[in-house]
Order: sequence, then structure tokens, then C-alpha cells
Amino acid sequence: MKIEKNGNQLIFFFEGEMDHHQISLLKDICVEAIEKTHPEKVILDFKHVSFVDSTGIGFVLARYKQLNAYRGELTLRNLSHHQHALFAMSGLFQLVREEGEAYE
Amino acid sequence: MNKMSCKFKSRAENEAFARTIALSFLMPLNAAAEEMMEIRTLVSEGVTNAIIHGYEGNREKMVKLEIGYDDHGLITIIITDKGKGISDIDQALEPLYTSKKSSERSGMGMTIMQTFSDSFDIISAENEGCTIVIQKQLHVNLSAAE
Repeated sequence: MKIEKNGNQLIFFFEGEMDHHQISLLKDICVEAIEKTHPEKVILDFKHVSFVDSTGIGFVLARYKQLNAYRGELTLRNLSHHQHALFAMSGLFQLVREEGEAYE
Repeated sequence: MNKMSCKFKSRAENEAFARTIALSFLMPLNAAAEEMMEIRTLVSEGVTNAIIHGYEGNREKMVKLEIGYDDHGLITIIITDKGKGISDIDQALEPLYTSKKSSERSGMGMTIMQTFSDSFDIISAENEGCTIVIQKQLHVNLSAAE
């Protein structure tokens, strides 16, 4: 995972398989990075993510809650078709924005 | 019918292992990429359920994964744990229901398994473990008959 700070926005570039195991390894880093700077906008970039399951939904919803507590905004970027369909099942696009090549 | 069976410890790092062996075993079926992605997700959700819910983080228990397919591209996946089981299966199947509210679980695992499968059954009772039986029919099936 790579984290990029760009003014008032924080971008997380995830990679590989984002399952329960991988998320348990990077969750605390993400929570802290957001907590430290309270960015206005957080972008989660899935361009290099080859796998995601319901643990990813839980992770995204938890980050939404974390940001919403101080009126920060969450965006998912570069989801594949499959990832979009999976996330859509939970209704989370009513809460978080999406941007990227496939769904502009 | 071709079949495989394996057991591995209830450790989160074995979730990737379970997906990988499922993928390898089903390689001869030449399934479409989208269907293989759904199968990886089915295996991942079932195994993660066994590890997190069934064994509640105990890393020393065993999870069993069985996969079979017939000449018509019908795949059967069975995931078994001997953990705490599910006392109320109807509740567990409700979208967004989770018994682990504090740990960022979405409660979508069961819904995803139902959505990506053609048949989905849970055999479980409190303290009697859990067996998830999933069937999925492949739609493009070029070489299963060989």
C-alpha cells in the first residue's frame, strides 16, 4: 500500500488481494493516517487490487463512518466491474462516491 | 465427477491459500474469468466465516474445504468447521447482519455467497460447527466432459 498526501486530500493506493488477512495488516495504518490529519477528502484507489470480498465492504463502511464523524468525504476510485457489483450489494454507494475510468 | 479435499489451520493467511487451490483445481474447466472471480469470492467468504465466526480467531483449529465438479460444469464447494456454529441461521442470512459489530465486519458474506451461487445451504447448530454447501453451474463449459 502507498499513501499520498495531496493538499487536503489523502489517497490510499491498495494492491494485491484485499481479503480479511491483508486488511487486518493495513487497517490500523489507514485509521491512524486519517486520524492524524483529518483530510477533507480520502480516496481509496483499487486500480491494483486483484481481489476483494465482504471484508473490504466492512473496511470501506468503517472508513466512511470514521470520516463522516468530522464531515470528511470518502471516494472509491478505479473499481473493476466485479468490485463495483460486490460493493453495490451493500448499498454503500448511497454513502460514498465513486470515480474512475469505468464509472465516470 | 472429479473431487478434491483438503484441511488447513484456521489462520487468516490460509484464506489466500484456499482461493488459490480452488482456482488450480478448477483450471481444467476453462471457466470464464467472471465466473472464476465469483468462485474465488465464494471460497473466500466461506473460509473467512469459518475462521472468524466458527473459531473466533483461534488459530489452531482445522477448516475443511472440499470441491467437486461433474461433466456438465456443476461445481460443488463444501466448507466445514467444527466451531461454535450458528444458532439462528435466518438471522445470519439477513443482509448487513453481523454478530461482530465491533470489528468492522459488513455482514454481507452470506448475501454474497447466496448471490454468486445457484444453490446455497447452511447446516449448523449452536456449538456443533458449520457446514456450508454451495453449488454453482458454469455457463461456458468447454472441456469438462473430457
